[in-house]
Amino acid sequence: MTETQGVNAMECKLVPSICSYCGTGCGVLFEVIDGKLQGTMPMKSHPVNEGKLCIKGWHLHEHINSFMRLKSPLIKNNGRFEKATWDEAIQTTAQRLSSVVERHGPDSVGVLVSAKITNEENYLAQKFARACIGTNNVDHCARL
Amino acid sequence: MIQQIKSWLEDATVDIFIGYRDVDGHAVPHGYTADRLEELGNWTVGTHRYPLETFALHLARIHPEATIGLLGRDCNQRALNVLSVWNQLHADRIRVLSLSCCPSALKTRADCSYLVPRKSGSFKHQVGVDAEMEAAELEALPSGERWARWAYEFQKCIKCYGCRDICPVCFCAECSLESDELVGTGKLPPEVPIFHLVRATHMAGRCVDCGLCEEACPADIPLRLLYRKVNAIVEDLFGYQTGSDTAQPPLSVLGDRVELEPLPMEKTG
Ligand code: SF4
Ligand code: SF4
Ligand code: SF4
Ligand code: SF4
Repeated sequence: MTETQGVNAMECKLVPSICSYCGTGCGVLFEVIDGKLQGTMPMKSHPVNEGKLCIKGWHLHEHINSFMRLKSPLIKNNGRFEKATWDEAIQTTAQRLSSVVERHGPDSVGVLVSAKITNEENYLAQKFARACIGTNNVDHCARL
Repeated sequence: MIQQIKSWLEDATVDIFIGYRDVDGHAVPHGYTADRLEELGNWTVGTHRYPLETFALHLARIHPEATIGLLGRDCNQRALNVLSVWNQLHADRIRVLSLSCCPSALKTRADCSYLVPRKSGSFKHQVGVDAEMEAAELEALPSGERWARWAYEFQKCIKCYGCRDICPVCFCAECSLESDELVGTGKLPPEVPIFHLVRATHMAGRCVDCGLCEEACPADIPLRLLYRKVNAIVEDLFGYQTGSDTAQPPLSVLGDRVELEPLPMEKTG
């Protein structure tokens, strides 16, 4: 059986997901071959899109394998972007945000949420704006 | 059927079998392999159709040595014939397990998304082209009206490229529909009628009338009818029925079968 090992390791499956490009939330199937994302298909039995997608949905897989994709946070130091860990990035953001709030007041900050994130995440974001920062400046990408 | 697939995988008749698995009631295409036979417990078949041969093609490009089995409705099998004619898949590396799809009073069940005829609204009836129409019905109309009806359909296009992306026989590495010289990219609606006619001419001798493009079209454009007409012309002119077997199509004059003498290029000042 050893000579067929390579062939046996073959994998081809379609993984159901939801398009994240707009609030419609079309059902998609990601075509995965040998663990690598190869393509996107509309999910035919999905009640939202019934097997149809717009051009953005059809190309969901492209940015995942793109060499341009950002895989770690970057922090701008002295005008240059430098790779950072998530912990460093979150620390820096939190510090700078608090100093802005301290210096200019909470209404100097606005929070933009998105149709591309879940209801729960949107809820958390507005809670963060109102309870942590203390501003009602919350808006949504669909109104931009 | 599951027993058959199991024995094919066990005796290595096929290295992978592409069928469907049940995911919360949805039939989702899936490749079954010998090392994960237990997955066959989730085997399912629904009316929804996907271009399984496209997944086979992608697999074969990565594993040219593999033998791929797949569940074949009538349309899948015609598409496999075309892919083999166009040298995209080796027929001897493919095993098909037929699925009962076309309905008949003699059968207890048939699985196809085309079994329920779709109804168009009255506005489409008045100004557009109904997908259920026959080409002959449409040709009986005066040519001005026919043009107006097709133009109405074509200008609805949102250029999602879904018709091309879902099509089992659209396998080109570079597509003319993205060429600025041919169809003028970046505009909506696309140039009427060139965008749709470019694709239609490419479907001559290629389209297997599976209807997946029409099902995927968010603008409800009767694409299948258009390509059916193109293929009727191919059949009239060359007596060639697309997808019927693995014989060469009449349009493959390129490659080693070119018999024309290349003419010297003329200098044009
Ligand atoms: S496929 Fe298009 S319409 Fe559907 S969710 Fe994605 S971006 Fe929105
Ligand atoms: S539309 Fe034409 S060029 Fe584009 S993939 Fe299909 S056959 Fe190829
Ligand atoms: S009916 Fe549409 S999807 Fe099917 S082969 Fe023809 S052009 Fe391609
Ligand atoms: S699927 Fe329909 S809307 Fe999308 S590009 Fe094709 S014809 Fe246009």
